Amino acid sequence: MSAAAPSIKSQPVYHALEWDAAGVRHLLFVASDDPPLLDRLLAAPPRGELTALSTDAAAGERLQSSGAAAHTLVADGLARGLETLGLLLRDSEMGLRLYLVGCEDAIWQAAGIASGYGMSSAEIRLFQTGTKARPVFCVHCRAMTRGVRTNLVDCSGCGRTLFVRDHFSRRLGAYMGFQIDAEEPGVKPPVELAYP
Amino acid sequence: MNAEIGMVLSRVIELAPGIREFWLAREDGGDLPAYSGGSHIVLSLPLPGGVRRNPYSLVGDPGDRKKWRIAVRRQEQSRGGSAWLHEHAREGQPIRVSMPANLFPMSRLARHHILVAGGIGVTPIVSHARELARLGQHFEVHYAHRAPEFGVLLDELRQLAGGDVHCYVASRNQVIDFRELLGGRPLGTHAYLCGPQGMVEDFHKTARDMGWPDTHVHSERFLAPPPGEAFTVKLARSGREVAVAGDQSMLEALEAAGTEPPFLCRGGACGQCETQVVACDSKFQHNDLFLSQAERDSGRKIMPCVSRIAGGCITIDL
Repeated sequence: MSAAAPSIKSQPVYHALEWDAAGVRHLLFVASDDPPLLDRLLAAPPRGELTALSTDAAAGERLQSSGAAAHTLVADGLARGLETLGLLLRDSEMGLRLYLVGCEDAIWQAAGIASGYGMSSAEIRLFQTGTKARPVFCVHCRAMTRGVRTNLVDCSGCGRTLFVRDHFSRRLGAYMGFQIDAEEPGVKPPVELAYP
Repeated sequence: MNAEIGMVLSRVIELAPGIREFWLAREDGGDLPAYSGGSHIVLSLPLPGGVRRNPYSLVGDPGDRKKWRIAVRRQEQSRGGSAWLHEHAREGQPIRVSMPANLFPMSRLARHHILVAGGIGVTPIVSHARELARLGQHFEVHYAHRAPEFGVLLDELRQLAGGDVHCYVASRNQVIDFRELLGGRPLGTHAYLCGPQGMVEDFHKTARDMGWPDTHVHSERFLAPPPGEAFTVKLARSGREVAVAGDQSMLEALEAAGTEPPFLCRGGACGQCETQVVACDSKFQHNDLFLSQAERDSGRKIMPCVSRIAGGCITIDL
């Protein structure tokens, strides 16, 4: 399920997830359950040791019962999961490939942690599944507002009404939001559900 | 774009049998431009038969604005450049030198760096070690050389890397085991090698087999232009014809004829001199490390710094 052509170059496009045969060890991080995807991946596990880490209980059970992973860890929520991911990466060696499955907020936070450990995009594969809700970065006050499903959102930092752009920053792992009524105060389009 | 600086050889130091260090200073005594670790310069050597331009890695301190340092091994099959530097170059000799260019930069995001040198390939490795030491980054050096006396610049490396310099001396049957060297390394490790072709290939292959992505494995190797048959280059735009002698590269022949094609490394690595081929009535001899197989097969591109044709005539878009 790769996204349609993006309206802007910076918007990520996610290709069907496959194991990277160039890797010798693999770490699968799952933040949202996706039964067809996980069943397909686990039916043909990669060469080399696979470790699975899930922040979703149902996905965790699916990973555990498949027997494809040498180790399966289930974390209680995204924050704990990201913490565990950091600990696993801290002790990992070159040759590892990282697969990130979930909503964009989760997988790009995970990708940020991985690049902090010196991993390059050649070692990380991302796949968006679950909610389309966006993490939004306020270009005025630099605060992050997470889980945004609408075209407009009140900034969690400065309270301005932000328009959520398609312009995405890989470094920040977020879409850019700017004040919608900066030029004509109070003039705002209707709020719509844009990212279900 | 091929701007040169007027410099003089300010010092010549014998480092080992067949290896000399040269210091270069500006002719006018002024400050030199800054450069980054891993950079090289191109020297225009005034050989009796004409100017020969050879690339050499800078080994000195990039913060030193008064002198540039290079180390040169006399090649057994020298085309004249390294032999001239060993036999005829004297202190005070004026030499024209290009601006530094870096085709072998370091990763700024690495958590640990493994530097590997084979023989005179130690030159950019010294410059990397210097920069990493300055930045306070974690690194280690592995240095393979023929015999103890060929471990040039080793004292400098030891000063920069402390205890983390490991020597592999061929005369004592010591070789680098890349599998061992690259195994068990933490995520975010980058490895760099400068050395002979076989070593470079072995290094990349072993790294790939062990799951290292190409983004974390870096190497540099300059080729000397291999000699071949004489041939003719036709310049499509002016209709001029230039003869390329057997011991001359196409780039050198074009320069001798007064044209100024772009170049950076002159060693088949950087891609700067990539030239469009209009027609060719002979067989290509691609010697570069830059063009893909598909580009070679197309018959539409050539790197005149190291590649040639097996006699006959080639027409290029120049």
